[in-house]
Amino acid sequence: MQRDHSHIIQGQDVWVPTVCGGCYNACGILVHRVGGKVVEAKGDPNAPNSLGRICAKGLARPLDLYTTKRVLRPMKRTNPVKGLGEDPRWQEISWDEALDTIVARLDRIRKDDPRKLIISHFDIPGYKISTAFARAFGTNNFHWNRACYCGSASHPVWLITNGTLNSEVDFERCRYIILWGTQLGHMVNTIALSASSELATARREGAKLVVVDPFCSVAASKADEWVPVKPGTDGALALAMLHVLVSELGIFDAAFIRDRTNGPYLIGPDGRYVRDPASRKPLIMDLSDRVAKPFDAAGLAQPAIEGEYTVGGTQCKPSFQLLKDHIAAIDLEEMARVCTIPLAQIRRITRDFGEAASIGATIDIGGHTLPLRPAGIDYKRGAAAHRGGFNSCWAIHLLNMLVGAVDVPGGQRGVNPLGPTWQPGVSDDGLIIPSDIITKYNKPYPGSTVAVPTTLDLHELFPASLFTRGLYPWGIDEPEKFGITYRPEAMIHGRTNLMLNSHDGRAMAETLKKIDFQVSIGLVADETTELADIMLPDAHDFERWDMFPVNDPYAFVAPGMGSWYWLMRQAVVEPAGEAKPWTEIYIEIARRLGILEDLYEVGNTLFGLGAQHKLEKGRDYSVREIAERQAKTMFGESWSFDRIKETSAAITRDKTLEEAFPKAFLKSRAPIYLEYLLDHKDKVAATVDKLGLEWDLLPYSPVPLWIPCEAHEPDAEYDLIATNSKLPTHQFSITSENLWIDEIASKNPYSYNIMVHTSTAQKRGLVTGDTVCVQSRYGEYRGQLKVTELVHPETVMCCGSFGHRARGMPISQKKGVSHNELLPPPCLKRIDTLSGQIDMCVAVKISKA
Amino acid sequence: MKRYGMVIDLKKCVGCNACTVACKSEHNTPGGILFTSVLDKEMGKFPDVIRVFVPILCNHCEQPSCADVCPSKATYRREDGIVMIDYDLCMGCAACVEHCPYHARDLVGDPRTVLMHEGRERVFERPVHRRIPERVAAKCDFCFFRVERGEEPACAALCPTGARIFGDLNDPNSAASMVIRELSGWTLLPEKGTEPRVYYVGQ
Repeated sequence: MQRDHSHIIQGQDVWVPTVCGGCYNACGILVHRVGGKVVEAKGDPNAPNSLGRICAKGLARPLDLYTTKRVLRPMKRTNPVKGLGEDPRWQEISWDEALDTIVARLDRIRKDDPRKLIISHFDIPGYKISTAFARAFGTNNFHWNRACYCGSASHPVWLITNGTLNSEVDFERCRYIILWGTQLGHMVNTIALSASSELATARREGAKLVVVDPFCSVAASKADEWVPVKPGTDGALALAMLHVLVSELGIFDAAFIRDRTNGPYLIGPDGRYVRDPASRKPLIMDLSDRVAKPFDAAGLAQPAIEGEYTVGGTQCKPSFQLLKDHIAAIDLEEMARVCTIPLAQIRRITRDFGEAASIGATIDIGGHTLPLRPAGIDYKRGAAAHRGGFNSCWAIHLLNMLVGAVDVPGGQRGVNPLGPTWQPGVSDDGLIIPSDIITKYNKPYPGSTVAVPTTLDLHELFPASLFTRGLYPWGIDEPEKFGITYRPEAMIHGRTNLMLNSHDGRAMAETLKKIDFQVSIGLVADETTELADIMLPDAHDFERWDMFPVNDPYAFVAPGMGSWYWLMRQAVVEPAGEAKPWTEIYIEIARRLGILEDLYEVGNTLFGLGAQHKLEKGRDYSVREIAERQAKTMFGESWSFDRIKETSAAITRDKTLEEAFPKAFLKSRAPIYLEYLLDHKDKVAATVDKLGLEWDLLPYSPVPLWIPCEAHEPDAEYDLIATNSKLPTHQFSITSENLWIDEIASKNPYSYNIMVHTSTAQKRGLVTGDTVCVQSRYGEYRGQLKVTELVHPETVMCCGSFGHRARGMPISQKKGVSHNELLPPPCLKRIDTLSGQIDMCVAVKISKA
Repeated sequence: MKRYGMVIDLKKCVGCNACTVACKSEHNTPGGILFTSVLDKEMGKFPDVIRVFVPILCNHCEQPSCADVCPSKATYRREDGIVMIDYDLCMGCAACVEHCPYHARDLVGDPRTVLMHEGRERVFERPVHRRIPERVAAKCDFCFFRVERGEEPACAALCPTGARIFGDLNDPNSAASMVIRELSGWTLLPEKGTEPRVYYVGQ
């Protein structure tokens, strides 16, 4: 660390290029330092992801450096009693005492069973360090964090079709945009600055925007049409739209389905591919000679996507025909009743979407003629965070797929499945598999091996998921139920406030109390830190270097045309007090534990270091030095961070047309029928059977199903559904201790208040300004009521993740509420057993407090 | 002669409040004082309802009623159209605060900035072009010091969606003039006769 600080750009009055840490988006910024103090931030005009723009969160970020409750020295707990609201009675200690205590404990655990350590950090560029530490230590239990916020159920859909982790829409060419449970392009979600700028221009130029959300969010307010779906019924609406699109209107892109999907693959009575007996390849019926041929056969002239055939004595249908039959059987009126959207509106939106897709249209770009499908749907947590999350997302995505609006100009698109050093692979069945650089966790397709869990997030029971991070509390609370033979003993935690971001704090406190020794690294002491034994002072993002690049291309390089750009985070000032970057703390712990060389060994692969730049045994490297090696691997030996004085971004080259619109170029197909799930289903069934576990195998369906949430069960007492929405001014709880952001949120009626519809309030005799109590069967929150027309009448809405109560967070204390307080720990009826997604909607009642 | 003004495209604005914080940062305004903010109003009945986001700031009126009522001539209009307050002359009588039809002015009580809500402890201080003293009227000054060095006001420079366009309204070819002309710009409360130089388009 010490030697890193000699690299800080010198001067009394300078602008230092770096990368914002106000959310995960990694926008290039310039930070103004005067007389050793940071005084302001602005967008970096040379960084392609900001172009001089910046958001409220980034502008306010300098304040967090100087907040009075910032922890500046290591501390130890002196109150042995742990629990909700219990004062840790912190006592400041030296770094040596803190590290000696930590290392002694971790050393003992490592020799006993390293899996007893849990690593719980949320920091995208730093993940590589905590992952390398965890692997070197020998624990599989890492990345317990705010998974319930993320798209556990939506990411797998993009991974199996777009071949990448995240999704977006080609706002530049799209003329009919549906945002479904997401506010992409409204200073919320990924690629915030460029997506918001592009979508603003699209709106100005007449693109139609439709937003599906139970709350009239910022995005819904900017839309031409708000579709106020009842919380958690997104799947029902999507199935209804599929029925209208395919069965009523007969709109589908036959050529796309035939050439780019597994739509022509023949499916037997068992629901599985009919395979060529010799090559085991899935067969396609060639209508030109009525012969079934392997999907990649050279002579395949006229693949059938419809009809019914007999091949080798087996009755079979192309998978598109099966899907079509399934869609035809959807009870349209019932689905409309469930989602509470009038049938006429469903029909109109579907027709508009289907017609806007302009099936058959083409566009000439860069000398190539590509399909043009100017209609696209993006979707995320609002649609995904439900019991039937994967099925709902799959139904929504099939709307994109069936009109061919996937990774072609105008439509929905995956974020950079193809890049300078990576490309998606192809399975033996001809389907797309994301590259390793893009998917660092499980690849939902082909999927992983099912086993009795040995990891506390239970991911071994979720072969077709991306990750199951939200399930840690289940594994910790009931290990014996899942055949887990050890108990966690220690945790290192930081930048993820488990007490507030998961479920009822009382239940979470009980779970955390089972982990005897906890180390928390942070800027301020949050609710989770209050349960820790040792707190270590973290550096602010203006006080550290980071792994390179800070913007992982799976989400943080804008998709489509444009350039490849790579951002570097560098320190603007030295860490305040005795703070140290959390990444450096992990390296120091590894050094003292004697596992630094193991960390290097894992890191040499994980950090993508070239042969010339591998970390060598017996040497010490700072994060800056590791990052420089990463950059040299990418740009060559002559490259140096010391050259980065003007801009945070290194731009390598323009994207190729193939990288921008891969679907027209890639050989692989994407599935429209999820045959692969059937094998996983059988294996999960066998394993849960062995464990004697009650389980839900319904989500493992090759065609999308409507799976209701627990909150949809008839309940006379808890007669409303609570959910929450995101604000453009806030990100997680990164921003909740910021005075400027708090000032804006306090003045805005839709930030800290609890919201119900006028009719809902009237029935209960409630008025704006009332202090109300919202109760589920699992927990409650209290706050100020705002009566509004902006929410679905069956809904209780709040925004963000507030309701702080930690002593170390005085600005945000008692401001707003935390929706998560209403939720129970993960349990069978409140998770998607396919994706591991946690259901975020919950039945509640509301009354005057 | 230049006549500075701004046009705000409500079709583009997403109410993200980057402008609000940019302004706070640029002027280091006291706690509770916002020279610009974004109105967030709901209009209509479910389900035909929206929130309308309207960024508001001093309108830099051609006929500023705030200047008319100022007893000490602290409020004045520069030749380039920017309406200013001379803090040395301002007595803090708040006549202008009451007379501004747009509620664009505040009377500064405690001038300290970025304070903890309870301890009133200063956590952050930014060097600014001019300090805001105690008991004066304060408001947007179109970041005149930035404009003088050829930059846009902070709110316009940073707007993530490019919704705020600043420029010389006397120049028919300025981006601001063209947007106002082509998209039929309108002003707030034209009946007040103040002739605002902040225009809106869209919505």
